[in-house]
Amino acid sequence: MAENGTELRIKGGKVYDPANGIDGEVRDVLVRDGRIVDKVSEKARTFNIPGMVVMPGGIDIHCHIAGPKVNLSRKLQPEDHRLDVHPGTDVTRSGVGGVTPSVPPLAARHVIEEFHDTPVIDKGFYVLLGNNMFLYDLLKQGRKQDFKDAIAWWVTAARAASVKLVNAGSDEFWKGRRNENVTDVNEKIDPFDLTPLHATAAFIEAVDELNMPHPAHIHCNNLGHSGNFQTTLDTMKAAEGHRAHIAHIQFHSYAGELGKRVQTGSEAIIDYINTHENITTDIGMVMFGKATAMTADAPLTWMLRFKDTKWINADTECESGCGVMPFEYQDTNYTHTMQWAIGLELFLLSQDPWRVMFSTDHPNGASFRTYPRLIRLLMDRGFRAEMMKQVNQKAISNCLLPQLDREYSLYEIAIITRAAPARALGLANKGHLGVGADADITIYTDDENRERMFNAPRYVIKAGKPIIEDHEFVDDHIGRFLHTEPEYDSAIEDQIRPFFDDYYSIRFNNYRVDASYLHDHEVIPLRNSGNGRKKKGK
Amino acid sequence: MHTELELTTAPEVPIEAECLSPAKIKGLSQSGIEHLAMMHGNRKVRVGDFFRVTGNGQSSLRLEGDLSRVKYIGAGMKEGEVRVNGSAGMHLGAGMSGGVIRVSGDASDWVGPEMSGGRIEVMGNAGHMVGSAYRGQRVGIMGGEILIHGNVKNELGSAMRRGLIAVGGQAGDFVGVNMRAGTIVVMGGMGIRAGAGMVRGSIISFEPVELLPTFTYSCWLRPTFLRFYLCHLGQSGFEIDDDHMGGRYRRYCGDSVEENRGEILVFDSR
Amino acid sequence: MSETKTPEAAKDEPNIRIVEDATCTFCGCVCDDMELTVDLDANRITKAKNACVLGRAWFLQHGIEDHPQAMIDGREVPLEEAMDEAARILHEAKFPITYGLSDSPCEAQRVAVAINDLVLGNIDTTTSVCHGPSGIAFQGVGESTSTLGEVKNRADLVIYWGGNPAESHPRHFTRYTVTPKGRYIPNGKKDRYVVLIDVRKTPSAPVADQLIRVKPGRDFELLWALRALVRGRDVDPDIEKITGVSREVLDELVERMKNCNFGVLFFGMGLTMTRGRHFNSGALLALATDLNKYTHFVAKPVRGHGNVTGADNVVSWQTGYPFGVNFHRGYPRFNPGEYTTVDLLARGDADAALMIATDPASNFPKRAIEHLKKIPVISLDAKPTYTSRQARVAFMVATYGINTGGTVYRMDDVPITLRPAFDSPFPTDEEVLTGIHTRLKKLRANGRKKAA
Repeated sequence: MAENGTELRIKGGKVYDPANGIDGEVRDVLVRDGRIVDKVSEKARTFNIPGMVVMPGGIDIHCHIAGPKVNLSRKLQPEDHRLDVHPGTDVTRSGVGGVTPSVPPLAARHVIEEFHDTPVIDKGFYVLLGNNMFLYDLLKQGRKQDFKDAIAWWVTAARAASVKLVNAGSDEFWKGRRNENVTDVNEKIDPFDLTPLHATAAFIEAVDELNMPHPAHIHCNNLGHSGNFQTTLDTMKAAEGHRAHIAHIQFHSYAGELGKRVQTGSEAIIDYINTHENITTDIGMVMFGKATAMTADAPLTWMLRFKDTKWINADTECESGCGVMPFEYQDTNYTHTMQWAIGLELFLLSQDPWRVMFSTDHPNGASFRTYPRLIRLLMDRGFRAEMMKQVNQKAISNCLLPQLDREYSLYEIAIITRAAPARALGLANKGHLGVGADADITIYTDDENRERMFNAPRYVIKAGKPIIEDHEFVDDHIGRFLHTEPEYDSAIEDQIRPFFDDYYSIRFNNYRVDASYLHDHEVIPLRNSGNGRKKKGK
Repeated sequence: MHTELELTTAPEVPIEAECLSPAKIKGLSQSGIEHLAMMHGNRKVRVGDFFRVTGNGQSSLRLEGDLSRVKYIGAGMKEGEVRVNGSAGMHLGAGMSGGVIRVSGDASDWVGPEMSGGRIEVMGNAGHMVGSAYRGQRVGIMGGEILIHGNVKNELGSAMRRGLIAVGGQAGDFVGVNMRAGTIVVMGGMGIRAGAGMVRGSIISFEPVELLPTFTYSCWLRPTFLRFYLCHLGQSGFEIDDDHMGGRYRRYCGDSVEENRGEILVFDSR
Repeated sequence: MSETKTPEAAKDEPNIRIVEDATCTFCGCVCDDMELTVDLDANRITKAKNACVLGRAWFLQHGIEDHPQAMIDGREVPLEEAMDEAARILHEAKFPITYGLSDSPCEAQRVAVAINDLVLGNIDTTTSVCHGPSGIAFQGVGESTSTLGEVKNRADLVIYWGGNPAESHPRHFTRYTVTPKGRYIPNGKKDRYVVLIDVRKTPSAPVADQLIRVKPGRDFELLWALRALVRGRDVDPDIEKITGVSREVLDELVERMKNCNFGVLFFGMGLTMTRGRHFNSGALLALATDLNKYTHFVAKPVRGHGNVTGADNVVSWQTGYPFGVNFHRGYPRFNPGEYTTVDLLARGDADAALMIATDPASNFPKRAIEHLKKIPVISLDAKPTYTSRQARVAFMVATYGINTGGTVYRMDDVPITLRPAFDSPFPTDEEVLTGIHTRLKKLRANGRKKAA
């Protein structure tokens, strides 16, 4: 929290604030008590930053930074951390980086605990419900209202920001049918008498009708397989009439025949998105170098496993699976180059930056530390051409990328990395610099080399408090925890409780994350509840 | 000409001294060397706080005294020579790619981790994990020679990829575990489970060995390559008798859990 | 925090309290279905419904001892003074170590890591002397694993290797793995095949459909042979002579493993603490992973301490490594053997020690104990121990799960909240550690001022 009375005047920068239509205009940004205001007193501390670029603080809509999977990955890769160390300073704790959230509800307490130890940023998580046995039972029985209530109960019990589906229906194939996977979204899931597509559509509808600030967040079936763009299109069509967010869509935009070489399916995918306002997406770009496959889609990691690469599979009862594996994207490799190119194609063909957002599905497509380079690739045609020469040429000759000469503007970058994800998450006070917004501000030295520019922000202000000044950490901050509270009929608990007695290994009463874990948190309002912010203190 | 450093103050807790390497001291004045930073536990100290330095920075370095609590001697060495008259601490020659380290006494655990070239000679014994990968790494040393005249403990040469490791005395369990390639010669017998998980490479034992059930006898032979290796080791101060030089070895191949392309050669008779 | 209610029958006795769904932290099973009857006048738990024999003893024998909160050199001192002294010791040390943590809630573990980050210390947990080898093995091969509820719902083949849950984790069989009926295991034990692999016939044997006796110290050879057979490779015809298990039994077991629907391998310290250590665990984890080519197969160490799994998790998310972490250089480094407590004490490396809920003075090797006697020790424990009696500063703390709340992680990484039964006059270990941490921050700031 910002200390009361702290006032800042950020003077003379070029401001990019797309939510308020401001495109590089030179103007002052004023801050008091952690918020953007229209007036400050004489005493305000002034940052004179002529020529510098001012943007709202970044918002990442899909990034795995905490939780059981991330922790398993940390434990798995000591050899990775050794090469990348960060000594503590007077204001920061030490740590190790390297390649490092969606969470099964059974582990929700874990992720919230870990969030307390994740400095500076505000954060929330999506709860994994796409393979929840109890919910599938309700669907099978056609109990639509109970299904909705139960989803709302689970989001509330886990203190989540929304619902995530990962490879819906695959759990039964993986755990119950000796490591098989869903191959066809219209295949029946034994024993539920449902198809993955039915289930996905039901979730999309329920989450939308619950007015959750962020719609169902969907990792489609068939990730990574050639020809999977058809599955992705089917999934989006199933969402017709409802809001849905399709996650890391690059991994789901592959044409070509199953089992054969990946071809680009970016045009078909982005054309659909361009013409369907109900869909939002993040790209899940790939960048060459070390990554970690880390997903609730366990069968996928098994498929990717090469020889005896170390591999983690972790099943969560009644809820989810999980796979973790070190991975490296190589620029000499056809498939990896294709994935890299498809991510860029989707962006360059997108007509609505407000619905097509930035992500690398960290650490799956690449580490979040590659963001500056990816931003430069979007903004700098020459750099892109240069890089295209250095990668697998067969892939380049098979994709659309060489024909695309669009360059993103700073304004558009501010949309895909700030304004749009804030809007998609329902965070009314984030992603912009209008009066009343949270004073999360990033200031960059303008530089034609956009990679260099975005690599090291000159100043970072979090909740009105300078955290980085002249590229150096000067202070620490404990961010807020964001979650939502959809409404439900509490009678549903009487339905859920016996299921716990029968099939879970912990007690119903011990499952819900109680308020003592929340500390400084904020409830993201539901869509029908106006703009008011419900806020709870420390 | 060499630079001499004598340990005059015994450390209370272990010292970490990557600076004790020709690359770091070459060209420095005596006082420049005395001012080089080391870690004494969690405190930053100077070389001069613990060592008496004689001479300015040469590419040959002589260390005197009981350095068994001084870690990382010769780390990252590319050329030159380090001679330890006494014992050396952990991580001796970590990451070295060239040059020579000679220790007259004992060495501790992790001799030559992440080594890719050069040579380490230890006249006495060494500890666990000689020439081994660090935890979690799939690949150990990438080249170079590690010659231990005394005994070593467990996990000699784990996951090594290239290079030569020779032990004059005994080795503990899991010699050459997860070995990718390269050569290990053990003259005084070894513990159980040698070559577990080995993919390729050769492990040579002068003494009988109890093998894992996943190794199978293939043939006997008088390997020519081994003569060259043993001649080389003989020139490096190991005592090799003629029986071993020209003798007959039983060849076992394994590990069948992996590709079965590694071999363990066990001396049989003249 | 805790859900309390006064049952009808107890209305006349207002000082009886029932705590439902309380959690037992005695072992790594962390059963969360305890119903505790608490006599608040006597500060005693009089009944622990659902508890096993070990859990009952844990709850029923717990009382509030008449003991000082804090002592320096065996002399009672105010808590504040003891915290001052503890902070001074850690601040001045060149190689301070912290060890234990497996019987503390995560909230305290987090502060312990923060202290080490601040004093550039060395932190390690009891993992390094129980399933540390499994941690090392995990880093080498990964792990296919699952929560215990998944075993209950799906496992039709359950194998225990080198463990004796009947005595060490009495409810492991009955609550999670063998007898319970699950979603796809409608008849409980009848639908499962249980194999016990051990060097002797233990009290767990009656639960098993098959006991396979391996020669002592030959677990690795047996596991290695199984791996080769699963991969369709050959093994030494003398396998029975080497391992004590015949080829027929091995072949049958391999077929059984490949053909089950959902198999699980549980393993205990009989595997991890015998010759070969992390290679034994590694071989078992690799076997489970290999079997995924044929069917769904998982493995899981059967952990001992109530929150040793929490310690692994907390240390991992704060430092990137699960145990044996050193901060001398200002950033975390990991190297078991170098930074694990038994090893560094035996070498005489440390010059001060913070021992949290552990008694190394009674159970460490002699050389390690000897060094411990030479250096200032700060101990936090809920009961007097050899370590606390020899400590320079000794804190008596409240017992987690009985007197204090917090979070613990079950052996399968499921986090569970504790519901304390009654209050204790002693501070929690989180409070003591936070007090030390605050003082250390001040000492550090003063040090900086002086330097400037």
